[in-house]
Amino acid sequence: MKNNIKKIMLLTFLLGISFSAFSKPVDEDPIEREMLDIAAKLRCTVCQNQPVAESHSGLAGDMRNLITEKLKQGKNEKEIVQFFVDRYGDYVLLEPPQSGNGAVLWVLPPLLFLFAALAAVLMMKSRSKSQSTMPPPVLSDADKERIRLARGIDADEKNKS
Amino acid sequence: MNKVWWVIVPVLLILFGLLGYGLTSNPKHIPSPLIGKPFPLIEGMDLNGNKVTLGVVNGKPTVVNVWASWCAACRSEHNVLIRGSRIYGDKISLVAINYKDELVNAKAWLRQLGNPYLWSYHDLSGRAGLELGVYGVPETFFVNKKGIIVEKISAPLTDEQFAAGVELMSK
Repeated sequence: MKNNIKKIMLLTFLLGISFSAFSKPVDEDPIEREMLDIAAKLRCTVCQNQPVAESHSGLAGDMRNLITEKLKQGKNEKEIVQFFVDRYGDYVLLEPPQSGNGAVLWVLPPLLFLFAALAAVLMMKSRSKSQSTMPPPVLSDADKERIRLARGIDADEKNKS
Repeated sequence: MNKVWWVIVPVLLILFGLLGYGLTSNPKHIPSPLIGKPFPLIEGMDLNGNKVTLGVVNGKPTVVNVWASWCAACRSEHNVLIRGSRIYGDKISLVAINYKDELVNAKAWLRQLGNPYLWSYHDLSGRAGLELGVYGVPETFFVNKKGIIVEKISAPLTDEQFAAGVELMSK
């Protein structure tokens, strides 16, 4: 009985997934894909930190339509991105340009890292220098006695426990 | 040790300076790259179905105001435009782009608040707006006689800005 139920369940499952054999692969419009690739690089100017590809704002929708239209006219990605930069400025690019003002953003972090590394090395050097030039401490007989005493007491306590 | 601090402290100060600048400046202000560029000649229809061309209108310096009936800030700005058209009407042309608006609403709006514009270009699709880098209404372009954009205000216009814009256009 139990076996039968299992068989029926398995059959139902197989029947269920067999329908996918008749499905057609999803037709993806290559222009749509290209449009989304371009839109992913553009900032939606009314939502500040969302790419045009993801935004639901009316402006982003218009921008996507325009990209599709321009792709159909045979314009390439560079021309389309430039169209938006000419009208909205570098602000429209999610990734800042590597020239002009944007160059600062690309160059500054590595420079800061180098600077920090250099500072760290210099600090460590000066620290080790000051340590090695310090004379070793001179212990008086009284100091040595106190140390011996302290160690002895420690040892006694350990033995007790 | 001390020498290192002489380098670290100035660098930190510069960093804090940059941070302070970044945090206090308005992230919504987008400088327009269109200033100094020619205003694109865009053809289309006005609200009454007449053919119009955006750009220099009637050979005079032209103010192009972008508005929509659904835009609350445009309502408060409207009086500035009406005053401006009265003061500078003979020196300049004042036209508009009616941005992504229904004809009926746009016409009703002008009937109710008064129409300071020679005409309003009907930009139903927002296509002309994209061509002009419009990202929010109201926006106002000041175009000199040669067709060069000399100023763009991306906020409700004030009387002072209108006067300053007219000044810039007539240079």
